Amino acid sequence: MATDQLSATFAALADPTRRAILARLAEGEATVNQLAEPFPITVQAVSKHLKVLERAGLVTRGRSAQLRPSRLKGEALREAADWLAGYRRFWEGSFDRLDAHLRQIQKGPAND
Amino acid sequence: MTEPASAQEITISRVFDAPREVVWKAWTEPDQIASWWGPHGWTNPLSKITMNVRPGGAFRIVSISDADGTEMPSQGVYREVVEPERLVFEEPADGSWHEGAVSVVTLSDLGDGRTEVVLQATIHTSDDMRAQAEHGMKGSLDRLAEHLV
Repeated sequence: MATDQLSATFAALADPTRRAILARLAEGEATVNQLAEPFPITVQAVSKHLKVLERAGLVTRGRSAQLRPSRLKGEALREAADWLAGYRRFWEGSFDRLDAHLRQIQKGPAND
Repeated sequence: MTEPASAQEITISRVFDAPREVVWKAWTEPDQIASWWGPHGWTNPLSKITMNVRPGGAFRIVSISDADGTEMPSQGVYREVVEPERLVFEEPADGSWHEGAVSVVTLSDLGDGRTEVVLQATIHTSDDMRAQAEHGMKGSLDRLAEHLV
């Protein structure tokens, strides 16, 4: 993924309300009114958050009528998670190998 | 040194069944690094490892994929070298991967011949990405990713 896209994704994820919106959408599509319900903010504010999420490629919105239900697009989110997971995988793998290495060098006679 | 509110942080820890001095050498001697650096499926030829283990000293380790020969260099500068307990190294920006990373490796003597190693990596990304770490984005991402599977 291009750095710009990844930046947009992380920036969109920076806001707790937007993350809550994503978590709600993970359960299924919802209209702006439905999304606004659990939050102490206006429908307009939720619309703004949705626009940010849409630009970040995290959410897609229906074009039909006024309801325009939003639904989650998994790809950008998965790539953001993968990006961090890659770093973790590097070190988890290294630590596995370090463990095996330490066992190996301690098994034989000291070779210092 | 660390900027917990402005970057991604990843902490990985492991207890090794070896005394701290032994673990320290595994981190600071090239012929030992060659045996374990990098994920599974990558080999580190000793001829492609240079390490100047002192504050300000550079290191470069080229890992080669067993599968297709792809080279993956790890390189940077040691910032702190406190034998046998603390190693801090900084990696410069690496293409689209990150815009610099600082890793703090702490070796704790557990007193029974075992050593706990904690690696705390602070990964700088773009300006846009920095503001959000304090919100615990990592945990949220993991949970969201679980939803998506």
